[in-house]
Amino acid sequence: MSTPPATPALWYRDLISCLQSTLAAALLREGRDPVDALGAHWEFLFKPGDVTSEEFYYPCRYPGDLGRSLAPHHGLSTTWHRPADPGDPLEDVRRALKDGHFPIIAVDNFHLPFRPAYQDVHAAHLIVVYGLDEAAGQAYVSDAMPPAHAGPIPVAALLAAWTSSNPKDVQDAFFSDSAIGGRYLTVTVGDAPETTPAFVREVLTANVAGFEADRDTAGWGGLAGVRDFTMSLAGRARAGDARALEEAYPFGWGMQAQAALHAEFLRACGTRWEVPALREAARLAEHVAHAWTGVRITAAHGRSDPAAAAPDLARHGGRLVAAYEAAVAGLREAAGFL
Amino acid sequence: MVSGAKTGVPPLSVVTMTTLRPVDLTGHWNNRGISAAAGTGSGGFNVWRNSFPAEYLPPPGAQVEVEGVPFRFGGPDPAGDNIRCAGQYVELPEGRYDWIHLLTAAERRTEDTVALHFAGGEVDFEPLRVSDFWARAHAAFGEAKAFETPVMHYPHHVQPRVEALMWSQRVPVTRRAPLRGLRLPRNVAIHLFAMTLQTAGEPVAERS
Repeated sequence: MSTPPATPALWYRDLISCLQSTLAAALLREGRDPVDALGAHWEFLFKPGDVTSEEFYYPCRYPGDLGRSLAPHHGLSTTWHRPADPGDPLEDVRRALKDGHFPIIAVDNFHLPFRPAYQDVHAAHLIVVYGLDEAAGQAYVSDAMPPAHAGPIPVAALLAAWTSSNPKDVQDAFFSDSAIGGRYLTVTVGDAPETTPAFVREVLTANVAGFEADRDTAGWGGLAGVRDFTMSLAGRARAGDARALEEAYPFGWGMQAQAALHAEFLRACGTRWEVPALREAARLAEHVAHAWTGVRITAAHGRSDPAAAAPDLARHGGRLVAAYEAAVAGLREAAGFL
Repeated sequence: MVSGAKTGVPPLSVVTMTTLRPVDLTGHWNNRGISAAAGTGSGGFNVWRNSFPAEYLPPPGAQVEVEGVPFRFGGPDPAGDNIRCAGQYVELPEGRYDWIHLLTAAERRTEDTVALHFAGGEVDFEPLRVSDFWARAHAAFGEAKAFETPVMHYPHHVQPRVEALMWSQRVPVTRRAPLRGLRLPRNVAIHLFAMTLQTAGEPVAERS
């Protein structure tokens, strides 16, 4: 490779994780608006025993398919892979790039020179690979999470990060102790509906139905799931279960990001079409995202003494439930104006 | 000046006497969110023990002005340089105020509630909304950006291109009664570095 490849767009919002930022890169390559795709669907789902200590953890309604679980209306789909030949993991990257795809690879930040955790902290993360120059010993990677990076890194560093065992690290209880093992995602972006008032009404109706469902076979879903999760978290904290508090941080990140992106989606539509009720529903969804901060940060700081943190977790859990309930009522009301 | 352009009401000129009174928060500091480059490990603003770089902020005890509001940073204090909110009750110099200005930052953006305690025993709950201190965050609640540093302190190094942000937020006091105390939220994501009370005074209106 003599000419550096074109740098993919870096897309970032303050409440998202590497999961949304890397999928956004794939969407933007296909000319899609990440807010439309990642912000239309909104749900709550907690799957007991499923949470992994990785920044990109998300409770998949469609097992193994992060893309479809996040954006079921927009033809987004992802598949996890491991290198076909462990002796030559780069072959999978070569093949993907040759086919015009940018693989999203799991990495351990400890080995990436551009990450603040370099040679310091082990943590599972996602980045996009958009070029490979083996003659020069360089891989081109992008990462929109601060400090954003798009450019070459040594292939040796990429391989070390990609194949890391990501050992338990006392500096990071939330994203370490989860082997990376060469995992990577491929992304397909299919047909998507136009964002019209009729489509948004349909989406809002579906989201409300999901939140109000009596039962969810995928896990603790909907408003009932929020209540069960928050009561369980406070209860486990009272019992001194530090693992429950550690899980709340990565699990809550996915839920917080989705609420924030749904809010941005509704606000954009409400502004575009001059529908005040949509903008108000957006604010209520945003309030859910902000209530997640109280739960996540209280849990994170409370790990050393879960029982002491239990009353505050119960308080923030109650606020989170109230925020979801108000937001769902707001969605229902907004749908009536479309 | 109050615009009457859309209502047809002629604009009014109003005269007010504004007073701004920084509050001494000594005794409440419980967190060290600012560190020197030579000792980044001493800071612990968030759960990762990141901290604001002292080299890019006013020194302890300094008076600073943000959008016309004076704030006073806490002086050197072994207990810390900010309040991590955990439901503390802050006694205020009793008086009638219109705004409570706060130099603040959050470990991820959030909103919670403060309780305003008045001399007659009344309590009003008002929202406190604070944006993230982390790089590239925006003023999600329309706050004024007080400080944005070019680096972030990590426990073992100084990190370029990860900015730290501090905001000037305000809380309204709508009750026309003497305020005497403030209960901070039980929300450890929210940090308070300084507080100033503002009395806008009663407007004296004259037709212009």
